Amino acid sequence: MAALGTLSTANLNGGQKLAVKYFTVAVALFGAQVLFGLLAGIQYLNPDFLFGILDFSVNRMLHINAMVVWLLFGFIGSVYWMLEDEAGVPVVGLGLGNLIFWIFTLAVVVVVLVYLLVQVGPGELKSIWLINEGREYIEAPRWADIGIVVCVLVFFYNVASTFMKGKFSGIAGVLVMDLVALAGIYLAGMYYTPNISMDQHWWWWVIHLWVEATWEVLVGCLMAYGLIKTMGVRRKIVETWLYIEVALMFGSGILGLGHHYFWIGTPEYWFTIGGFFSALEPIPLVAMVVHAVFDAGHHKLKSTNNPALAWIIAQAFGNFFGAGVWGFMHTLPQINLYTHGTQWTASHGHLAFFGAYATMVIAFFYMALQKWRGGVYMSGNLVGAWKWKWAIFLLHAGMIAMVMGLLVAGYEQSQIERAIGGSDWVAYFAGQSHRWFMQGMFWRMVGGWTFAAGFVLLAWDLMTIGKRETRPALAVQAEAAAA
Amino acid sequence: MSQTQALWWASESFWRKTAIWVTAGSFVVLIFLTFDTVKQITAGGKRVPAYSVINNRIDYVFDEKRNFQVPVIGPEEPLFGKKLTEEEAAALVSHGKLTTQAKNCMNCHTLLGNGSYYAPDLTKSWLDQSWGSKEVREQQMVEFLMNPQDRLHNALGRKMPNLGITEAEARATVAFLKWMSSIDTNGFPYNFKPIDQADAAPAVEAAPASDPAAAAPVQQ
Amino acid sequence: MLEPVKLADFFTVFFSAASVILFGASYALVFAWSRVRNRPRLMPLAYAAYVGLFVSVIVLAFAANLFNNTFWTVIVMLMLIGYLLAPHAIWYLCVGTHADELEDGHADTSAAGAAPAKIFQQR
Repeated sequence: MAALGTLSTANLNGGQKLAVKYFTVAVALFGAQVLFGLLAGIQYLNPDFLFGILDFSVNRMLHINAMVVWLLFGFIGSVYWMLEDEAGVPVVGLGLGNLIFWIFTLAVVVVVLVYLLVQVGPGELKSIWLINEGREYIEAPRWADIGIVVCVLVFFYNVASTFMKGKFSGIAGVLVMDLVALAGIYLAGMYYTPNISMDQHWWWWVIHLWVEATWEVLVGCLMAYGLIKTMGVRRKIVETWLYIEVALMFGSGILGLGHHYFWIGTPEYWFTIGGFFSALEPIPLVAMVVHAVFDAGHHKLKSTNNPALAWIIAQAFGNFFGAGVWGFMHTLPQINLYTHGTQWTASHGHLAFFGAYATMVIAFFYMALQKWRGGVYMSGNLVGAWKWKWAIFLLHAGMIAMVMGLLVAGYEQSQIERAIGGSDWVAYFAGQSHRWFMQGMFWRMVGGWTFAAGFVLLAWDLMTIGKRETRPALAVQAEAAAA
Repeated sequence: MSQTQALWWASESFWRKTAIWVTAGSFVVLIFLTFDTVKQITAGGKRVPAYSVINNRIDYVFDEKRNFQVPVIGPEEPLFGKKLTEEEAAALVSHGKLTTQAKNCMNCHTLLGNGSYYAPDLTKSWLDQSWGSKEVREQQMVEFLMNPQDRLHNALGRKMPNLGITEAEARATVAFLKWMSSIDTNGFPYNFKPIDQADAAPAVEAAPASDPAAAAPVQQ
Repeated sequence: MLEPVKLADFFTVFFSAASVILFGASYALVFAWSRVRNRPRLMPLAYAAYVGLFVSVIVLAFAANLFNNTFWTVIVMLMLIGYLLAPHAIWYLCVGTHADELEDGHADTSAAGAAPAKIFQQR
C-alpha cells in the first residue's frame, strides 16, 4: 500500500484500475461537453461567431454527443469499480476489457475529429457509414455504432462472467439484465429508412428507453451498491428496494415512451397511453422521498466521504426537479402541443441530465478518489474542502441560471411562435427575436460561464482532493458485516 | 420472526417476481402496440402517405371532427412539373432524407418537432408562406438550399451556412420536405397558416369551415 | 378528444403542474417525517400539503380542459386517489421491508426506531 493521500493504483483492485481510466476519459469528455456548449450558446447571442468554421450544428452535436459518451464512460467505469467487490472474485477477461477501453477511447477521438474536420458529407449512405448519421444524440457514424455494440458486449462479458464465477447477488442480477437491454435497445437506432416517422419511432426507443428506463435502473444498481458500502445498509433491504424501484421505474417508464409519440405521425391512442403514464411518473419519486426519510430516521448518517454524499443529495434534488417537476410541467399533450420542440425541452433536458446522471457519476468519481489515495479521510474539516464546495455551488448556480434562462425563452417561444404564430418561418423568428427570448439566452450564457468555472474547479479538485490529508477515512458503520 | 415471514408483500422474492412481471408485462404490451404502430406508420398508409404523394397538392386544413389541422391530399400537382412513379418518388425522397442526415439538419432544425432549436421547424416547411407563391416555391427552395448564406433570413443575423448541397440533393430534399408535410401529425404544428395553393379549379376539400385561422381559439 | 390549452391558460398549466409535483413531494416528505419521528402533530401539515395538491390537480384539470373528456377525467380521479394513498402504501412497504432489522434489535431503541414497528403491529 502506498502512503496515505498519494494516488497509487496499488490501492485499487483490477476492475478499479480499469475504472479510473474510464473516469479520466469521462472527465475530459465532460470538459468537451462544457466547451462546445459554450460555443453553441455564444452563437445564439452572436450568430457570426465561428460561422462557416464551426457552425452551431457541429458545436451542438459535439455538446450532446460528449454528454452521452462521458456519462456512458462514467457508468461503465462505475460498474468496473464495484465489480470485484460485489462478485468477490477478480474480473474475468480483464485484459480484453483493457484492450476494449483503448479501442473505445480511440474510436471516440476519431469520431470527434471527423465531426470537427469533415463535418458533413454528400447525401449518400456512405456519409452515414463514415461521417455522421445526422440523428440527434446518435449521430455517431455506423462504423462507430458497430464498435459501440462490440465494446458494450465485451463489457457485458466481463460483468456477466465475473458474477457467474463469483457471487451472483441481487444487484448483479438486475445489472446483468439491464445491460442486455441497454445493448439490445441500441440496435433499434442502427438502420436507415427514408420514412421519417418510422425513423423517429425507433429513434425514441433508443433515446427514451436508454435515458428513462435502463440508465435509471443502472443508477439504481450503483446507488444500491453505494448504500451498502458507504452507509452500511443491509443487503437484503437494499436489494428488496432495488426490485421495488425496478418495478416502479420500468412499470411507468417503458410505456412512458408514449409521451414521445404524440406528434411524429404515430396513432392517436398514444395520447391516452402517454397521458396515463405521465400521471404515473411521480410515483417512483414519491417512493424515493418516503423511503429516504424512513432510512434517514433509522440510520444515523455518519458520512465517510462528504463530497460524494453531497453529490448524492444533489442527485436526489436534481432528479426530482429535472425529471419530476420540469417533466410534468409540459408532458400532457394538451400543453405539449405548444412546448414540443422549443427551448422548454432544452430547459428540461439540461436539468434532468445533469440532475439525474451527471451528479451520480461525479459522486462515484469522489468515491473512487478516496480509495485511489489509499482510503484517505474525506469527512468534515477536509484539507482544501473549499474547492469541492465551491465547485458544487458554481455548477449548480450555473445550471439553475441556464435552466431558468431557457425556461423563460421556452415559455415565450411556446406562446409567440407556437400558439399565436403557428410555427412557420416568420413566427419562428418572431419568437427568437422577442425580448424575453434574448434575455433568456443572455442569462443562459451567464449560467454557462458560471458552470464552466465550476467545472474547472471540479477538475482541479478531482486532481488534488485528499493530497495533503494524513488522516484515514472514517470507518463505515458495520451493520452490513452481519448480512 | 414468524411475523416477518408472514409479510409476503414486503419480501425480497415477492418484489423480485413483481419486478420481472411488471417489466415483462410492460414490454409485451409495448411489443403489441409497436406492431400496430409500425403498420400504421409504414409509408403508403393513411397516416403516412406513399412517397408518390409528391405528385399531388398537399394542404393542411382544420378538421372539425378531430379538432385539429390535418394534411389533405389535393389534385395532381407534380413536383418540378414531372409526374413520378412510386419507385422514382421513393428513390427521390430517400435521396432527400439521406441529404438531411448527411448535412446534419437536425442539429439546427427540428423535424416533426425533434432535433435542435436554432432554426425553424421543418415539419410543414413545404407549406410555408415565406416561399412567396406556389408558382415560385420549388425553385426558391432549391436555390435557398444551395446558397443559403447569401439570403436574407431575419433581423438577428442568424443564417444557414453553405453545406455544399448540390442541385440534385436540393431537389431531393424539397421532395422529402413535400412528402413530410403530408404526414398526419395529430395537429402539430398548431395554428399553421399554409401558403395559398388555390387555383382556378376549385378544390373539394377547401370548404369555408376548414379555414384554420377562423377555427383557431388563440387567434387575436 | 384533445382540447388544447388556451393561450391565456399557459401560465396556469405550467404553474399548477409544477405545484402538483411539489405538493405531492411535500405531502410525502412531511407524512414520512411525522411517522418516522413519531410526531403526530405534524400530520395535519402533511394533509394540508395534500389539499394543496388536490387544488393544483383541479386547477390543472380545468386549465388543460381535462374534464371535457371521460378518459382524462378518469386520469384526474386516479391522480387524486393515487397520490393520496401512495405515501401510505410506501410507508407500509418501508416498515415491512425493514421489519426484521427492527426485530433483530439492530436499530436504535429510541422512540424514532420503535414508532414504525408499533404502527406495523397495529395492522
